[in-house]
Parts: sequence; C-alpha cells; structure tokens
Amino acid sequence: MRVVIAEDNVLLSTGLELLLRRAGCHVAAVAGDAPGFLTAVREHRPDVTIVDVRLPPSFRDEGIRAALEARRELPGLPVLVLSQYVEQQYAAELLSSTGGGVGYLLKDRVSRVDEFVDALRRVAAGGTAMDPEVIAQLVHRAGDPVAALTPREREVLGLMAQGCDNNAIASRLVITANAVHKHIGNIFAKLGLAVTDSGHRRVLAVLAYLNGPVRGTGAGSAGVSGR
Amino acid sequence: MLDAVSGTGWVQARRGGIYLLGSLATAVGTVLALPVLIHPRLARSWATWHRERAGRQLGTPLPPRPPLRGTGRRAWTDPATPRDLLWLPVHALTGMAFGVPALLCVGNVVPAAVATPLWWAFTFQERPRLFIDVPVTGWATALTLGPLQIVLLVAVAYLCFPPAARAHARICRAVLSHSAAEQLADRVAVLTRTRADVLDAHGAELRRIERDLHDGTQNRLVAIAMRLAVARQAFADDPRDEQFVAELLRDAHEGAEEAMTELREVIRSVYPPILADRGLDGALTAVITRCGVPTRLELGDLGRVPAAVEAVVYFAVAEALTNVSKHSRATAAAVRVSRTADRLSVAITDDGIGGAGDRQGTGLAGIRRRVLALDGTVGVDSPAGGPTAVTLELPCGS
Repeated sequence: MRVVIAEDNVLLSTGLELLLRRAGCHVAAVAGDAPGFLTAVREHRPDVTIVDVRLPPSFRDEGIRAALEARRELPGLPVLVLSQYVEQQYAAELLSSTGGGVGYLLKDRVSRVDEFVDALRRVAAGGTAMDPEVIAQLVHRAGDPVAALTPREREVLGLMAQGCDNNAIASRLVITANAVHKHIGNIFAKLGLAVTDSGHRRVLAVLAYLNGPVRGTGAGSAGVSGR
Repeated sequence: MLDAVSGTGWVQARRGGIYLLGSLATAVGTVLALPVLIHPRLARSWATWHRERAGRQLGTPLPPRPPLRGTGRRAWTDPATPRDLLWLPVHALTGMAFGVPALLCVGNVVPAAVATPLWWAFTFQERPRLFIDVPVTGWATALTLGPLQIVLLVAVAYLCFPPAARAHARICRAVLSHSAAEQLADRVAVLTRTRADVLDAHGAELRRIERDLHDGTQNRLVAIAMRLAVARQAFADDPRDEQFVAELLRDAHEGAEEAMTELREVIRSVYPPILADRGLDGALTAVITRCGVPTRLELGDLGRVPAAVEAVVYFAVAEALTNVSKHSRATAAAVRVSRTADRLSVAITDDGIGGAGDRQGTGLAGIRRRVLALDGTVGVDSPAGGPTAVTLELPCGS
C-alpha cells in the first residue's frame, strides 16, 4: 500500500513512517505543507493519504482544505485526516465530499498500531474511519432515541458509525458475527432506519441519522415507535 | 429641567430669581459655616449640591463626579478637593455679588407697592421713599413714581434675572468641572483598578494551568518514563521475564494515552483550537452544531476581536448552551453576537422552563468569572417558567 503523508512535524512524520513500514506500507512521499502534498499526490497517485489538520503557513485547518482539494481533483482519493482534537464540524465537511475513503482520527489513535493500520486499510478500500470521540459527540447530541438502546447496542452503533464492518465489530466486542447482525437489526428498528448493506453507505446512513435534526422527546419517540 | 430654558420668560425670570436669592443665602451660609466646610468631605457634598443646582439652571446636567477618594488625611489628596475648597470663597463672593442686587430688586417692589396706596399713613419724617431717595409727599408722586418703580423693577427682573442666574451657574460649572487633567486622573484610577483585577484573574488562570500540567500531565510522563526505564532493565535481565516487560510496556502505553487526553483538555481550556483554526464565527458554528437543542446563530459584523474576548465568548456560549441542553427543556435556542464601536454584546436565549441561576451554580459562575476578568458584565434573566436570556457585554476596544 503506497502512502503519501502531509505532516510538517518531523518527529511525527518519522514516527508514522516507522510505523507504516513495519505494517508493510510504502511511504511514497512526506510533504510539509498543502501545496507540497497536492504535488506529491498528483505525482505518486497513492493508495491512501494521511493528512495533519494543521499545516504551515498559518497552522489552522489547511490540512482539511488540502484534503478536500485533493479529493476534488482526484475523486475518491482516500484521505485519513489526523488531528490533536476532533470537531464534528470537520467530520461533516470531510464526509460531505463525494465518494468513500474518508477517515478522521485523533493523533492519539496512532499509538494503537493495529487499530490505526486497520482504519488506514479501511479508508484505502473506500471505507470510513471516524474517531470514537466524534461519534461520542454525535451520540450525546442525538439524545432520547439513542438512549433507548441497550448498552451493547450503543457500543455496536458506535463501532458502526466509526466505520467498522460486521466482522470487525464482532472481533472488537468478542462476540459472534451472528450476534452483531442481530444487534444491528435491533438498532435500525429502534432508530427507524432502513437497513442498508454494510460499508460506507451504512456509515453515512448512521452518521446522517446522528447528525440529523435533533429529535425532541415527544416527536422522536413517536417517530421510532411508529415504525 | 428643559422648562427652565424653553419656558416662557416669566417662568425663567421666576426660576432665575429663586436661584439668585438662593445663591445669596448659601453664600452667607458659606461664610458662616466656613470652619466646618473646609473639611474635604463636606466641601465635596456642598460643591456637588451646587453643581447639581447649576446644572438644573443651565438645563444641561453636569456629569456626576466620582466619590471622594480615601478618608481622613488621604481625602486631601483627591484631585478634585482643591476645586471644592476654591468654590467656598468664589461662591461667597459671587453669591453675594449676584444675590444682593437680586434681593434689592425684589425687595424694592414691596415699598413701592405699599407706598402707592398708603403713603399718607406714615408720619412726615418717615414718609416712604421711592427711587431710593425720593420721599412720597402726595398722591401725584405716589401714583406716578410708585407704579413706575414697580414696572421698572419687574422689567429689570424679567430681563436680568435669567442671564444673571446663568452667569453664576456658569461660574459654578467652570470652578467645579473636571479639568482635562482630572478627567484623565479619574480614567487612570479606573483603569488601574480594572487592570489589577484582570492581572489577578490572569494570574489565577496561569496557576490553574500550571497545576493542571504539573499535577496531571507531568506526573504521568514521569510515571511513563519510570515504567519504560524498568522495562529496559527487565528486558536485559537473564532470564527475561517476558510477561513483566509486556505489562510495563502496556502500562506505559496506556499512561501515554491518558496524558494525551489530559493535555488535550488543558489545551482546550486555555484556548480552544477550533477558535485558532476557524475564528469566532467557525468556532461558534461548531458549538451550536454540538448542542442538543436546535440553535440559531446570528452574527453581526464583528470586525477584529481580541483573542481573549473571543475565547471568553466561546466558553460562555458553550457553557450556556450546555445548560440549555441539560436543564432548560427548551425546544429552541438562539445565540446573537453583535458589536457596537467598543463593546461586544452576546445574548444566549432559549424557550425553556427558566429558573437558571444559582441552581446551575458553577456554569454561570464560571461565565461570570471569565467575563468579569475582562471588565465585562453578565446579565441573567430567567424567571421561573422561562424563557431564559443570558447576556454578556465585553469591552472590545480597538
């Protein structure tokens, strides 16, 4: 898997290189800023890219803009954005660009090497990798209908929203794929969502639900029980 | 008050007369009470009373003066005290200079009014005199000079009292107004006080950050380093206790993750990264999308806002909306931010059950602490039954 990295901090980029090489990836280029990143992407056509949100010159949200720009130019280019903090807003902007292959993770997650490489592969394959904190923000906001789920169902919902497929959810929660399937059926029924096949579309459906208009006590429960 | 200026001539004349006669009375009072009035506190009260009176006479209230600074001996050092003391002799002189003619003018109407019909009732030696020294000896004099004197005096009063009263009021204003230097001194005093408050708040904030980093993150890093050091030694042991090394590494790894989480919280509490990335506009948009209650954001043209003010607005809005989600049972909320020249106004409103205030304690207290540190004000209007409005006013000088 060929990777292009946009990261201006040498400590972090060498760390990432080390980690990715051990995981069997090939780091084609490391760019220190947004224009450099765009040039490298055009030149190397990587399988996946890793972009830090803050890049020179102003160290604000250049990374997000560079990622969106790159995806406009090369539709479907897989992008995994790394940040020291997560904002639902940024996640929404990344997801709004068409096509799959989007990831948004806290830098902390890199240290869980297996999960990080999993997420990177998922993104490279056109899937989604959303940070648990983003999902937590969304779930917290969604309120009542989500509160009606069992704790286990909430865990499954969270992993689903992060972009895990059924097998990954099963291995993370140490349950059978069959049990996962049953939980997902219950969740979709309780939330009143149409069952979608797994993959990016399912993630989008779940995220759209969580991100959607806030459901008040009365209206929300009525809508769910109506189905 | 405006009547004094725009009222009919007669009203003005009457007010002017009362003012002038009052000035005469207080001038005499000033002379008599001089030993007492030279005390700064009494001189200040006396001067303030005259200022207000002069302001009413001029139809333009004079701006209030700050209260006397310090007590006892220190009261003498108040920058306005010399003016208060100067006013005592000035008023004694001008009060009499303006008041005595007014009294004579009013006073001489009475003998004329009495003399005209009743001149004959006085003995020859004590016949009333008109026009100062003209004795009334017959009806001819009485019926001509008497009314003439009244008419003349009334004309003088009508024409002269209002300008004379205004002249005295202007003298009062000139003596007792703030000089530019005094205004500057007052401003410096206010700024010194607020700056001290801001520095205190700033110091407290630095100590909090230091404590968070020192007790939290730094300790965690020490613990991680210790575990890694022991792991290195254990790794070199022969035979090697693989499980022990693995445990140490796992603990160190988890400690590092906790340190990162903690550090992120500290950073967020110092200056929210989203604010640095997206400015107040983008940061507030992020806050309202996080809110569990549908919230409308109205942003005026804010221009350049100091970073400290932006941070306080961000925290206040985030905190207020957390309260809205948690306690208000509102179905809608709104955040309005607008700016007039040197003030930023923020209003966070919801249609919930109201009763916000001490019940929610720390949230609003936190907002208040941050806002006061910048010399701003916080208003909470939340009657039981709602709705709730939290308003902030922050100085935003350019």
